[in-house]
Amino acid sequence: MGDFVLAGNLNFLSLGDILQLLGSNASSGVLRITSRYAQDLGLIYFHNGNPVNASVGSLAGLDAVNSLFGWLDGEFEFIEEKVDGENVIKKSRMQIILDCLRMLDDGQIEQLGPVTFTKKLFYPSDSLSNRPIIRGPLIDYTYVVDEEEVRAGNKVVAEGKHGGWLWVILEGTAEIIRETPRGPLKLLRIGEGAFIGSIASFLLLEGSVRSAAITAVNNVLLGVLDLRRLSADFLRMSNQFRSLLISLDKRLKQVTNMAVDIHLNNIKVEELINGKAQVFTQGENVESLFTITEGEAHVARNTENGYVPLANLYQGDFFGHVPFLDIGQEPYSASVFGSKDLKISEMDPDILKQEYNQFSSTFKNFIEHLANCILVTSMLACEFGKNTGRNV
Amino acid sequence: MAIVKLKKREIECKIVYYGPGRSGKTTNMEYIYKTYKKQVVGEMVSVDTEGDRTLFFDFLPMGLGQIKGFDIRLQVYTVPGQVQYRSTRKLVLKGVDGVIFVADSLTVRREKNMLSLKDLQHNLKEYGISILKIPFVMQHNKRDLAEQGVPVMSIEQMERDLNRQLKVPSFSASAITGDGVGATLKECLKLTLLSLKKQIKSG
Repeated sequence: MGDFVLAGNLNFLSLGDILQLLGSNASSGVLRITSRYAQDLGLIYFHNGNPVNASVGSLAGLDAVNSLFGWLDGEFEFIEEKVDGENVIKKSRMQIILDCLRMLDDGQIEQLGPVTFTKKLFYPSDSLSNRPIIRGPLIDYTYVVDEEEVRAGNKVVAEGKHGGWLWVILEGTAEIIRETPRGPLKLLRIGEGAFIGSIASFLLLEGSVRSAAITAVNNVLLGVLDLRRLSADFLRMSNQFRSLLISLDKRLKQVTNMAVDIHLNNIKVEELINGKAQVFTQGENVESLFTITEGEAHVARNTENGYVPLANLYQGDFFGHVPFLDIGQEPYSASVFGSKDLKISEMDPDILKQEYNQFSSTFKNFIEHLANCILVTSMLACEFGKNTGRNV
Repeated sequence: MAIVKLKKREIECKIVYYGPGRSGKTTNMEYIYKTYKKQVVGEMVSVDTEGDRTLFFDFLPMGLGQIKGFDIRLQVYTVPGQVQYRSTRKLVLKGVDGVIFVADSLTVRREKNMLSLKDLQHNLKEYGISILKIPFVMQHNKRDLAEQGVPVMSIEQMERDLNRQLKVPSFSASAITGDGVGATLKECLKLTLLSLKKQIKSG
């Protein structure tokens, strides 16, 4: 096999772009695509710039190309070589590209990435089947010590019960449900690679109360994670990083509480943000990161229906831009309001980033999953804000 | 920005037909495809999207001349305006060199025209293109319907509605008979090539 002549990330150059590029270059060879969200390798064969065959998993030909268009995150490399064999794909290049993009936008092709949207974003309200499924990257089995099966409809964890186990979903889908005075509220759906349990499991003194119930939608296979090993990883981190993680964990609980409160219509954003100074304005391009040493701050997203509260932050919490995480809140997607007595100290994101890069893949996946849950729950809170018709 | 293909000594430009659904973008393209069939390279690609169609073909118009010894190859597209077709729009509008806006003369479509134009501005902006700077031509389509007694807007009104700020060249057309279709495309090509020459010089 020859060396690759073109390589990169699908985030930057989408498959549609690559197909056009190879097409206008009349290239022959093999395009290899890998994604950490997929177990299989994707291959597309080109002859004179036209895709002639493809494969991914059990799919071949055009079906494989269609499915590969859903890989929004991944790496590709093109190896120039002579491609022999039958032209399985007869459709023209442009027809493939335009057809696939249409199917992608119509929700006929499954999107592969950290968050999978079955169709459009939360549409229409309340029907859970349209909620996105949060998945994680491929599982690192070295941290899995045992497997457990939970049958469809059974609870993985019950809300309010104590428990410190951490799991990763190996197969199947589960939903996260909160009890409310108006009955159970379904919040998120999680799938393969998603984690169950929180940072609290590492904090032996605090004991951990499950903040929501998790129920298996279909038969779910869970991997029990090596808690001792993960705790050891956690204890080796710098104090600064540990407090960042604890604050991130609190942030998820905060945004979940806010979403539930918005759904129940018993929260007033004015009381939270009025009279407070805006520290960050939504959309601002800031790269700094702060911890609160005194006072409090509030995170709120400005939407068509006014501000939607997303989190209350207190002493020890962080806010700002975390270079390796996207939690879908400040600074880009939300504003931060500070109380009069707010005092902050700046953190060095570069040092944190260096430390993050050295973590085990399981821990990185765990942190990334936490961030994705915050991101999706923030969107959910805004969606609830729209549905309850509150003009905040 | 057009793609310069050194191997084939061609410059590839992208022309996009934009406009509200059923304003006649497809009819425009079908007419061009039929009329210039000999110069068209490959098939016309058609994809059905909800309420509209996306079309694409590739052609080498004759008599356009060359830029610095390179032939001009055109890629002509229509783009679905509906919000959900984000990926298609992104692919089509990326690196677009010239835009033809096909406005519907029917009185009942007045608002649809304006919304579509606004939508175009927004979409172009998302890809870093200013609607005021890109080579742009306006077409007032379906003029023939006036003869059949269907209420259509006057050219003056359409110009006021759509072209007051843009002040771009505009053409009356009946894409169904082919009237004005060639003239619209030619003007757009002229503007696109002028702009390309300018870009190549200043670059």
